[in-house]
Parts: sequence; C-alpha cells; structure tokens
Amino acid sequence: MKIIIISMTMAAVAFAACNNSSKKSAATESVRTDSRAVSQTPSENPVSINMTATDSINKIVAAYLQLKNAFTNDNSNEAATAAESLQASFKTFDKKGLTGSQKKLYEDVADDGGEHAEHIAKNGGNIAHQREHFEMLSKDIYDLIKGFGMGQVLYKDFCPMYNKGKGAFWISETKEIKNPYLGAAMPTCGTVKEEIN
Amino acid sequence: MTRFKQIGLVGVIIFISIQLIRPARNKSDGVPAADISKLVIVPDSVQVILANACYDCHSNNTRYPWYINIQPMGWFMAKHIRKGKAALNFSEFGSYSPRKQASKLTEIANSVRDGIMPLASYRWFHKKARLSGDEKRRLINWVHQTKDSLSKK
Repeated sequence: MKIIIISMTMAAVAFAACNNSSKKSAATESVRTDSRAVSQTPSENPVSINMTATDSINKIVAAYLQLKNAFTNDNSNEAATAAESLQASFKTFDKKGLTGSQKKLYEDVADDGGEHAEHIAKNGGNIAHQREHFEMLSKDIYDLIKGFGMGQVLYKDFCPMYNKGKGAFWISETKEIKNPYLGAAMPTCGTVKEEIN
Repeated sequence: MTRFKQIGLVGVIIFISIQLIRPARNKSDGVPAADISKLVIVPDSVQVILANACYDCHSNNTRYPWYINIQPMGWFMAKHIRKGKAALNFSEFGSYSPRKQASKLTEIANSVRDGIMPLASYRWFHKKARLSGDEKRRLINWVHQTKDSLSKK
C-alpha cells in the first residue's frame, strides 16, 4: 500500500510541475511580446548605422555565402551547418543605432529569414527542400543588403531553369557563375543581373 | 496483494489522475481582424479544404473530437496545435509582414504538393483531411493566385 501512496504523490507532483512550466512559458512569452512592441517604436533621431550593425550584417552575409557555396557543391549537411550559424547571426544582431525603417526592415528579414535558416538547418539530407527555402532566403538577404549597404561588392545572379523554368536568383561574392540551385548538374547556368556595391 | 495487482492499481490511479489535467481549448468567437479571409478572397471551394484539413492546427479555432477528453490524447493534440499555430496561423495571417506572407504561401503549396501537410497522423484520424488530387490542385492554385495578388498590392 505504501508503494501506491508514494507513487501517487510522485505522479501528482510531476503533473503539477508540468502544468506550472507551461504556465510560466506562457507568461514569459507575453513579456517578450511586450518588450518587442516597445522596441518597435521608431526612434526619434535617426542615426547613421553604427559599426556593430555593419558587423552584424557582414556576419549574416558571410553565413549566407557559406550556405550558398555548400549548395553549389550539393552538400546538404554542410548547408545545414551553415544555416545554423546564419540562424545564430540573425539572433545576435545588434539593433542599436538603427533608424525606424532600418529596424523594421531588419526585423521583417530576420523573422522570415530566420525561419528559412531553421528549415535548412533541420533538413540535412533533403537538399531539394533546403533549396526551396534557400530561394526565399535569397530574397531576404538581397533586401537586407540593399537596405543597409555592404562594404564588399556582391552579385545578384539569376538561373532561369530552376523550379520548372520559373527561375530563381541568389547572391554571390564572385563574378563567375556557380549555380547553388542545380549544383553539379548545371554548375554554370545563370547570368549576373546586378552588381551590388 | 500481489505485486502484479499493485502495479495494475497504480496504473489505474495514474490514468484517472491524469484525466484531471486538461489543456486549455483553442477556441475563439468571431472572425479576427487579421484573418486571411479579410485580406484575400477565399472561395468557398477552398474554404472547405482549409477548414477540413488545416484550421484545426493552423487557426484560432479547433473542432475538437470526443477523444480529446481522454488524456493523454488531449495533451498530444494541444502540443500539435501549439506548434502548428506557431508555424502558421490563418487567423493571424494579416499580421505577418508581406515578406512572411509570401513565404508562408509558398510553404503551404510545397508541403501540400509533397504530402507533408496535412500530417500523416492527422490524416489517419480525419478522413476529410485526406485530400484528393483535385483538392490539392485547387488549394495549390489558390495559393499561387493569392501570392500573385498580394505581390501586386
């Protein structure tokens, strides 16, 4: 009988703990949304983008390019690893000194791009699915580069064959075409559409 | 009492006591302002598919079957709904950035095409969620049209 009583109390305690933790996470979630609402208010005095923000953008673009190069080599697992570091650089972005519109652009890009990076990171082995997210991610990265400017010359390349002839673009650090969507099957498919300074 | 009976009794008691822990229901009244139907046109033929195959986990309203009253079924369901809504919530679609709206639409079309969504476990329990080829096409076409109309806005 003792065993029964002990195990019942244990079960009760365990379930009570379960309940509490879910309540707690709901509470922290509401706090988080509150703080976001506050930080979204556009700053009154727009300041030019500071060093830390430039560094953050550079880190994001570097991780993106690493990801892109993994895809040009058809390396799904390497892409997953690169996507993980991209996800991390989205999270560690220093938003201090951004103007209201820059902050909005960044938050939109990080929200969307972060999810694409997460999908790519979690789908090592399924390169077709990873590339679908890479296509959407490329748009995010392009808009980010256009909105913030880069210290380095980059190229916007377009492959008309990917996705059953719908085509897709990507960002590259080299003028030479190395196709991340078709990889070794069609490594040089594509053209430079834009030089981004 | 034999050991076997003791274990059985403990099992029964645990089963009864977990019945007391019921997750909150995912229900809300009216159509929220950010609902997808307020943003884009959702034809009835598509609305039916969304309601039968998607909304239970991807909206603020779940149609609950009787067995969710038996735990741990209700817990599993609550977890699926929480994760589903975090990934995509049609009731809050209008609050997403245009960028995210476009991404979500593409992901809907891709996951339906690949048969990833609706989830296999959900299809197993919900006959109407087993979409026919025609239903899939109708849904995917609508998604593409919606994406085009939003990108022109």
